[in-house]
Amino acid sequence: MKISCVIPAYNEARHIQMVVNSVRPYVNEIIVIDDASKDDTAILAAASGALVKRHLLNRGQGAALETGNQYALQNGADIIIHFDADNQFLATEIPDILQPLINGQADIVFGSRFLGKKSNLPFAKKYLIYPLAQIFTRYFLGIKLSDPQNGFRAMNRQTANLIKITNREMAHASEIQVIAFKNKLKIAEVPITVIYHHFGQKLSGGFKVIKDLLISKLIK
Amino acid sequence: MFQQIIALVIILFFISKLIQQKKRQAISQNELTLWLIFWLVAALAVILIKQLDTWLIFLGFSGSGINFLIYLSVLVLFYLLLRLRLRLAKLDANLTELVRQITLNNKK
Repeated sequence: MKISCVIPAYNEARHIQMVVNSVRPYVNEIIVIDDASKDDTAILAAASGALVKRHLLNRGQGAALETGNQYALQNGADIIIHFDADNQFLATEIPDILQPLINGQADIVFGSRFLGKKSNLPFAKKYLIYPLAQIFTRYFLGIKLSDPQNGFRAMNRQTANLIKITNREMAHASEIQVIAFKNKLKIAEVPITVIYHHFGQKLSGGFKVIKDLLISKLIK
Repeated sequence: MFQQIIALVIILFFISKLIQQKKRQAISQNELTLWLIFWLVAALAVILIKQLDTWLIFLGFSGSGINFLIYLSVLVLFYLLLRLRLRLAKLDANLTELVRQITLNNKK
């Protein structure tokens, strides 16, 4: 069984080698999609042994993930993991996220910050942004998951073939969840840890996600 | 009357600009037709502004013709803005796909 890890990266020269090295023991192949970084992300990732593909223009995390998915499928991946390049996830938790796929209990597995493990979530995110995001995804998109915006996920080959990410920026996280529910895939959630080095997406980013989801619906 | 003349002069200015753009082949025949119809309807509405008041009262509206024209213009503008936004989003999606295919086909 070939396990590929897709890491979208933009200006992550500081973390990329550490992330690639930490992921390597758990997967067969690491694919870094360099989203037109202005720093040495691509060079450093390649030096660490990752397969590197580079976007000519910066297209966003969702776009990079879709490129990574397609490349991993071309390379014969049986399982694809999505992992962030900014060193906020723990590679030691990869076996946890793979387990339901290997056992055949799930087609797609989402990591969750809200299932017991402690993440150092900023106060505003924990008590304002995520509760609002949860209400939106639950009541407007019909997604019943504990974590509405988590980039740590894994899926089997059939699911990766089914999911075509069209939202090129941060709305891809909700888009993937919507597709999974719409197609009645076997879904699992596993507790993961997120270490915040910076605040990340703000409330305005949340509104942008909603706007992007609406526009993507209209242009389909 | 004076305001109507000003409005008509402005409309004429835009129509002349439109014809210049067509001569420079900056717009297509379809675009010229669409915008020409738009400005001619606007000119007609300005000329028949009093008549428009009577028709609006007949249709049960209490506002004056000029108010109705402004509401209608705002609605049309919103619609055109939405169309433009969707067109941009489609172009953006096409650009992403192009970048992706170049990336995947690049053997380096």
